[in-house]
Formats: sequence, structure tokens, C-alpha cells
Amino acid sequence: MGLSLNHFLVLGALLFCIGLYGAIAKHNAIAVLMGIEIMLNAVNITMVGFAFYNTVKPWSTFLTGQIFAIFIITVAAAEAAVALAMIISIYRKRNTVDVGEINLMKW
Amino acid sequence: MALYEYSWLILLSPIFAFAVILFGTRMWDLATRGRIAAKAAHETEAHVGHDGHGEPDGPDELIHEKGPRGEDVVFEDWEDPKVPQLTMGAKVSGYLSVIIMALACIYSWILLLNTAGLISVAPQLPTQGISLSQISYPWCQNIDATNNCFGLGSYVIAFHLDRLTIPMLVVVTSITLLVQFYSQGYMERSAGYARFFAYLSLFAFSMLTIVFAANFLVIFIGWELVGLSSYLLIGFWFNKKSKPAEDRLSPASASVEAFIVNRVGDVGFIIGIMILFVNTGTFNFSQLPAAVTHMDKTLLTVAMILVFCGAIGKSAQVPLHVWLPPAMEGPTPVSALIHAATMVAAGVYMVGRTWFIFAAADPLAFQVVAWIGGISAIFAAVIALVQTDFKRVLAFSTISQLGYMFVGMGIAAGTAYGPGLGLFHLFTHAFFKALLFLCAGSVLFALHHATHKETQDMRVMGGLGPLMPITAIAWLVGTLSIGGFPFFDSFFSKDNIIAEAYRTGNYGLWAVTLITAGLTSFYMFRAFILAFGGKGGRLGGMWGGTYRGKIYRIAGLEEGNQDKTYLVEMSPEEKEHIKVPHESPLVMTIPLIILMIPSIFAGDWFNFYPYIQAGAPALTVRDVLDDWLTWVGLAVSLIGFTWAFVLYARFEFASVHDYVENRAFLRTAHRILLHKFYVDDLYNWIIKYIVLGLSHIAQAFDTYVVDGIVNGVARLITVLGRDVRHVETGRVQTYMIGFFGGVAVLAILVFALVAFVK
Repeated sequence: MGLSLNHFLVLGALLFCIGLYGAIAKHNAIAVLMGIEIMLNAVNITMVGFAFYNTVKPWSTFLTGQIFAIFIITVAAAEAAVALAMIISIYRKRNTVDVGEINLMKW
Repeated sequence: MALYEYSWLILLSPIFAFAVILFGTRMWDLATRGRIAAKAAHETEAHVGHDGHGEPDGPDELIHEKGPRGEDVVFEDWEDPKVPQLTMGAKVSGYLSVIIMALACIYSWILLLNTAGLISVAPQLPTQGISLSQISYPWCQNIDATNNCFGLGSYVIAFHLDRLTIPMLVVVTSITLLVQFYSQGYMERSAGYARFFAYLSLFAFSMLTIVFAANFLVIFIGWELVGLSSYLLIGFWFNKKSKPAEDRLSPASASVEAFIVNRVGDVGFIIGIMILFVNTGTFNFSQLPAAVTHMDKTLLTVAMILVFCGAIGKSAQVPLHVWLPPAMEGPTPVSALIHAATMVAAGVYMVGRTWFIFAAADPLAFQVVAWIGGISAIFAAVIALVQTDFKRVLAFSTISQLGYMFVGMGIAAGTAYGPGLGLFHLFTHAFFKALLFLCAGSVLFALHHATHKETQDMRVMGGLGPLMPITAIAWLVGTLSIGGFPFFDSFFSKDNIIAEAYRTGNYGLWAVTLITAGLTSFYMFRAFILAFGGKGGRLGGMWGGTYRGKIYRIAGLEEGNQDKTYLVEMSPEEKEHIKVPHESPLVMTIPLIILMIPSIFAGDWFNFYPYIQAGAPALTVRDVLDDWLTWVGLAVSLIGFTWAFVLYARFEFASVHDYVENRAFLRTAHRILLHKFYVDDLYNWIIKYIVLGLSHIAQAFDTYVVDGIVNGVARLITVLGRDVRHVETGRVQTYMIGFFGGVAVLAILVFALVAFVK
């Protein structure tokens, strides 16, 4: 049995859920960032899968997924840098990286 | 005609007196009271120790008692607050109201004598009377050409003078004058002297409004005003406490009861008036008898019975009679004026005014009037047989006599008498009942001075005849008048009603009124013997025998239950503190003497019936004596007098009392009558459990449902706010859950839609 699109999509979904769990349930800000990275990479896998198993004319669309993935990697990198800068700034002020503690908007 | 056209002055003079007293002389009185009290206290101190007892004799209004630890306690008598001396302002209030009422009275008498043909200072009054003044208030915006309001007549304040009004004017003004004159003596040291005369003038104005009224609106205004005056006057001594041992309410409670029971009757009255107005478009008494012939007869009968409900309440007929005995808590002049002669007669007068409307209805309306009158007459008469309170006997007597008046109104249906039959008895009754009440006041005044206690129980009176001769003779004249003794008042007025009941075929009413006549003479003569009979000297109670002269007092009062009081002979120490009662001062006895004259001779106005209603037969002595019915009525009332004499003057009261107590049937009958057939208790029960029960239910509804909804809305908002705010945790991760959860829901929806659409 060969690989099909479904395998890529399921892998992507699973990785997305794992990443989502990490982003939601972890207290450490860095761990949350790691979960976000996992989510982004899961989407990347889905994109590449769509690119590889593309059967839609015109045939040049088989590259769309790949290019999308490169964009996602770039944006992920930039966003990670910004997020880390924010965490450092929060740490300097609050002396903690526990996202549970950052709740000034609480009722 | 000018004589008649200025008769509105009679109406407005008392309200003028009221205004002047209330805003003028009473203010003067209040301002000078402090000065007078100080001066009087100074004078009392100067007389300390001069009364021969070796100790200071304090003013009457202080009560000296032993406190809980045996110490001497002195406090003011709030029962009957007195002032040491009347101020000039108070005295002038009295003079002013007497003078104004005297002028009104003279005018009324001139009107009466002129229209009766005895003097001739002005031309005769036309039969339909004259309209005195008419203030027309078109209360509606759209009035058509004939000044009608959407087809209904406009609302008019109108006064009217005719032959029905004039005897009532004479009655009201004369009795008010005599009562006001009398009150100058009776209320001599009472605290609210000026206020009393203001209220009396207000009452006179209200009663005259009823008398002069030309339509239902004005009569209703007067109706409510007399109810108000009655409330103010009954509750005059508002600080007085109730005496449950003597079955007496406090004046404040009694006045509330009077007003509220009156209002219960007024509900029917208003509904009846409204039915008439809506169906005929007019309130006017002259226009209604013609206008109601176009109405549906059943509806008219219902309306008239409802209108009569107002009279039931105002004139204290069964079942709304319960307010009149407690109303005796007011000062006795008030009882004389309002609850004997005038206000309670307002119901009878109103039925007389609307007699022709009753005549246009089904005969059932008149039968209702007559039977309720008959039932009230006998009901009140049997209760009065056993009452021991002096004024209460008179109160029940009033209810009974008012019943006679309504019987007279009712049975005259179909005869030529018109309203005159009942009105004649109203005319005579006012005089002798006022006389009886003023005598009672005189007795109570004298006894209060002698014993320093408010003694209204007849069982401790006795032997007052030789001590208070004028009062005794006046009471005797009143008793003979009310009992139908030959050629006194009721012989012509009341016995004619009884005879007419037979002649018109109302045999049931004839029997009822005949028995009541016997009972009336019995209890009135009993009251006379118990109070005035026996040998003179000290108070000789009848209990110990006619000529023994023992003095008794009521004991067992502290139990607070009327059934547990008993008589006990006074100890010699107590006898030391009692003075011999003596005749009342002249200012109180002159009205008694004056009232004796109409009590004897008012019945001799034989042309009363044709005076009121043209075509009615006049009384003649020959006809009265020829009629066998008269002799039957006379026999019954003489039996009543004799039986009372035998029972109370020949036998000892003790033996009568024991005879009743030892026989179970008589004892239970006595108890039932003493408790007034338990009607008061029934009404108290109804009010306590049903009326107040309903109000508790309504209150619970208001508190839990209505307020519950209002507060519940607020609480809902509070809960929502307090509990929903927890969603805002301030943590990003929570928001992420929401975000991605929503995405998941949307995804499922899209898949489902796609799957099912395909």
C-alpha cells in the first residue's frame, strides 16, 4: 500500500493537535512557543502533501504548496523572534515566564 | 318670594361659622391657653389645704393611684382631658356657632310657619318648590346645542327648596341649636372645646347640604361630609382607651368603625346612582321619576335597592347597624345630634326624596325597604331589652325607630301618603330622641361629678328622680313619647305607621311593628325606673330593693370580659368619696325643657301628610280614636309600660336577675341578647380572618410575586454578571481554547453541510 494524500493530512492534523495541546496546556512561555512552532510545521506538512498529490490543472499548481511552505517557515521564524523578544521583556518586568501569571485583563 | 330665595343663607351660615372658628377663634384659643393654664395653676396652689379634708384637693383631671411598688403615682386623666378654665377664644367659638345657628333656626321656623299657613309674610311656595342656585359644570369637552354631554346631562351642583325640605330644615337647625347650647355646659372643661363647635358647624353644613340637595351628586357630597363629621365627632376624645370589661371600644376605633361601615353602604349607593345616571342621563330628583319610566324595570329595581343600601349604612339598619352602639363613645351632645336626630335620618330623608323613583320601580323595591326596616326594628328592640349601658339602650332604640321610618316609607306604596308617612315619624322622633339623649348626657354629667368616674351602667344608678327632677321629668316625657302613650308624639306618628301596615295588607309587618312597639315601651320604661326610680337621698341601686338605698359599684372589671362583671356593695370608705349628684346647670336643663314641648306637641301637626304630599289624608283625632287598630297598638304599648313597671318597680332587680340566671332557656337568651346576637363578633371574625386573610394573601402576592419579579430581574443580571465574568481569565491560553474551539465547530459544520448537501 502506497502513501496517499490522506496520510499526509492525518499526520498534519495529529501534529497540529499535539502542537495545540502544547500551546494551550503548557505554563512556560517557551513551551507555548514550541507548541506554536509544531502547529506551524504541521501546516507545512499539509501544504507539501497537497503540492505532491496535486491533480488539478494547470499542472504548474503543484508548486503552490511548496512555495506556501517556504513562506510559512519565514513567517514562523520572524514570529518566533518577536515572541521571544516579548517574553524577555515580560520577564524583565515580571520576573516570571509563566503565562498563567500574565492575567492583568482578568475580570 | 324673596323669603325663599335667600334660604341658601341657612345652608352657608354653618360653614361660615366653621371657617371663622377654625381659622379665627380657635387660633385665639390655642394662643391664650398657656397663659390661662399658668394662671389657673397659680390659683389652685393658693387654695391648697382649704377644702376641709386636711390635704390638697387636686384638680379633677389628675389621677392619684398606687404604683407597682406602693408609691403614689399621679398622672393626668387622658380619658377625658380637661382644661382648668376655658379661654375667651373657646367661649367665643361657642357663642358664635350658637348665634349663627339661632339665626338659621329662626329663618327655618319662619319658612315652616309661612308655608304651613300659620303666618303670612310671603306668598306660598309653589308645589314643585324653587331652585335655589345652580352651578353647572359641563365636564365634557363636546357639548351639543342643548348643553348635553354626548347625550348625557351635564353635572350640576344644584340646591332646591320645597315642602319636603322645610320640615327637615326646622328639625336640623332647631336640634343643632339646642345641642350647641347644651354643649356649652356639657363640654365646659373639655380640652377641645373650640374644635367641638367647629365640627358641629361642619356637621350642620353637611346635613343641610343633604337636605337642600336637588340631585344625587350633591346629596352624595353631603352624605360623605356627614360621615366625615361623624368620624371627627365620635373620635373627639381620641386619647381615650377602650374598656373591654364594659364592652366599649375606644373612641378612635369607634369612629373608624362608623366611617367604614358607612362606606360599605356607600358602595351600593354609588353603583345605584351610576346605574340610574347611565340609563337616564340625569341625576336630578325632579327629572328622574319621569325619566326612569323608560328604563328596564328590573334594572331600575336593582338600582333602587342598591341606592337603598346607602340608606342601610347611613341609617344603621340591619346588617349595617353595628356602628351605632360604639358610636356612643362620642360626647353625648354628638350622640343626640348625629346619631339620634339628624345624620341617621339622612337615609330616611334620601328615601323620601327618591320615593317617586322607588314608586316607578317594581313593588319589590318598596318591600325590601319596608322589611329591612321591620327586621331592624324588632332586632334592635329585643337587644335593647337587656342592655345595661344607658346610652346603648338609646342607640338600639334609634335603630329600632329608624326601622319604623323605613317601614312607613315602604308600606305607603300605592297609597296617597307618598313619603309623608315615614317622614312624620322622622320629624317627631328627632325631637324626642334628642331629648332622651340630652337627658342621658345630663345624668352622666352629674354622675361623673359625683363619683369622679365615668359611670354609664344603669345597675348602679337609681334614685336619681328626686335629685334631678328636671332631667327625670324630661326623660319621662321622652319615654312616653317614644312608647306611644296617648296623645304624645308617637301615638300619632308611629301608631299610624302600624295601623297603615294593617290597612295596606302587610300583616307580617303589622305584627312585627306591633310587637316592637310593646318592646319599645318596655325597655324605655325599664331604663327610666332603673335610673330614676327608687327613693332619693344617696344613689339607691335597685339591686337591694326599692327603698333600701344601698350603693353599689361594678366589680370584676379587671378581667376585661363583660360577662364576668358583677355588682358589689360599696364599702364605707368608698362611700366617703362619693358626693350626692345634683341637677345639671341651667345651660343644660334649658334645652331639655325646650325640647319637651315638641316632644309632646309635634305629633299634633295633623296636616303634615297633606303638607308633604298634596292629596294625602290628614290625621284627625276622631279617625284615630275610631280606628280599632289604634286601640290594639295602644294596648300593646301600655302592656309594655305596665310589664316594665311590674318587673322593675315592684320586684327587686336581684330577684329578676336570679330568676333569669336560674333558668337555662332564659339565661342563654339573655346572653345572646347581651352580646347583640353575636353580630359584632361575626363581623370581627369576618374581618379578621376573611378580609385580613385576603389582604395577607394579596400582600404575599405583592411581596413574592410582584417584588419577586422586579428583584428577580435585578438578581438575574447580578448573577449573570458575577458568574459570566469568570470567562475573562486574562490568560491567553483560555482565549486560544475559545478560538480553536470555534474553528473546530465551524469545521464540523462545514463538513456536515458539504456531506449532506452532496
